[in-house]
Amino acid sequence: MDFRRAGTTDEIVSILAEVGPDATLLAGGTDVMVQYLRGEIAPKLLVHIEQVDELAGVDEADGRVDIGALTTHLTLSEDPVIRRTVPGLAEAASQVGGHQTQAVGTVGGNLCNASPAADTAPPLLVADAELRLRSAAGTRTVPLDRFFLGRRHTARRPDEVLTSIAVRPLPSHAGETYLKVGRRGAMEVAIVGLAARLVLDDDGDVVTDARLAVCSMAPRPLRLPDAERLLVGSRGEPEAVAAAADAVQETTEPIDDARARAAYRRRLVPRLLAEAVRLCMRRARGEEESWS
Amino acid sequence: MELSLTVNGQPAVVDVPPGTTLLEVLRDELGLTGTKEVCDEGECGACTVIVDGRPLDACIYAAHAADRAEVLTVEGLAAGDELTDLQRAFVEAGSVQCGFCTPGFLVMATHLLETAAELSEEQVRRGLAGNLCRCTGYAQIVDAVLAVGRGA
Ligand SMILES: Cc1cc2nc3c(=O)[nH]c(=O)nc-3n(C[C@H](O)[C@H](O)[C@H](O)COP(=O)(O)OP(=O)(O)OC[C@H]3O[C@@H](n4cnc5c(N)ncnc54)[C@H](O)[C@@H]3O)c2cc1C
Ligand code: FES
Ligand code: FES
Repeated sequence: MDFRRAGTTDEIVSILAEVGPDATLLAGGTDVMVQYLRGEIAPKLLVHIEQVDELAGVDEADGRVDIGALTTHLTLSEDPVIRRTVPGLAEAASQVGGHQTQAVGTVGGNLCNASPAADTAPPLLVADAELRLRSAAGTRTVPLDRFFLGRRHTARRPDEVLTSIAVRPLPSHAGETYLKVGRRGAMEVAIVGLAARLVLDDDGDVVTDARLAVCSMAPRPLRLPDAERLLVGSRGEPEAVAAAADAVQETTEPIDDARARAAYRRRLVPRLLAEAVRLCMRRARGEEESWS
Repeated sequence: MELSLTVNGQPAVVDVPPGTTLLEVLRDELGLTGTKEVCDEGECGACTVIVDGRPLDACIYAAHAADRAEVLTVEGLAAGDELTDLQRAFVEAGSVQCGFCTPGFLVMATHLLETAAELSEEQVRRGLAGNLCRCTGYAQIVDAVLAVGRGA
């Protein structure tokens, strides 16, 4: 195996153009190195991109927020722009592994690794995230809900680097949250992760727009359009939430694994959804801080 | 493949194959065995070191990613025989039993104390969530960090 360090995005792009699928990009390495040491991957070349500063950081302009692919979970959980405009993402990032993982693990690595349990995926899905992928041929934009194709399988072509993620900030009269269930409070892969973003009418009464997404409930993180439709027009009453939870059961296909049985994952959904709706509505009405 | 780094203020040059971890370089090439190897998967924090100001698990960090970096290990905390306040607090609070987790906790907690103005118990527990201890039950470790964090 070879090792190269890229100092700029242009350099990454030209290495990928030259080497293509034999190259594996190394950001924080918290997925790559574990997979390499376990023998699950055998790259010919590691391209260290962690020090390409232009790919890190958060930028707010013209009603969009841009998140550099190399932005770490620690930055996401602390950044004031993220906490105000995509609070569910800050909440999710603060629950990725421990401090050591958050300090080096990046949002781009989390998405490109495409684990079914990727914690940043649900909150980014409810924020209509769009990914910018760059290659020698140019830049294209892919909506996140078309990026995940399956477990560890994405729409990224081998010659592309993810440069940034554009998200739609939380509008007014809206609240969002990310709820994660693991076997213990911290340092745990999600058994189920649920992100919700609800927009209420001016009176703070009726749900006018609803976004829901889950991880660990299918081979890839998913938006839940059927359940969303059942919440729009409701006041978050138990019947509407129960109907939405039923719709989630129909769209998802959880698996049995060492962490939890599919039946247990399914059983968590109604309660998680009820809690998410309650929190989003309280946050939308300003009755509760978005993030603690 | 050669790489150079500064460890606890001392420059070092080593020649190891790509894919070698920073932990292997510290322990096997540089003889700095204070940093412990336990799970080798980033789960337990026993191998925590600071690289360019960031605490990370050296067992899953590529050595060549630390080329030209400044690394701080547990050996770099005390000044000779003079323990840091945190190290003394660990001794006083009974935070060490078998001691295998201690270097990782010390490095991680030193970083927390250096980067936060004040630490609540909740912040200490959250900051140390990536460090496992099989012996103490954590209370004594949290107490030691809080004792220093509150300037006690
Ligand atoms: C102890 C531990 C606990 C963890 N806990 C969690 C958890 O709770 N939740 C969770 O979701 N994850 C968790 N993870 C997984 C991992 O930390 C995250 O997925 C992290 O965000 C990966 O980022 P990275 O920068 O380390 O990625 P890397 O390992 O560097 O890369 C991951 C993949 O993405 C590719 N890649 C990286 N950056 C780019 C880019 N800019 N463009 C194109 N491809 C790119 C790499 O080639 C590789 O295939 C954990 C890992 C460990 C070791
Ligand atoms: S040995 Fe590195 S985290 Fe356990
Ligand atoms: S003192 Fe034994 S593992 Fe912590």
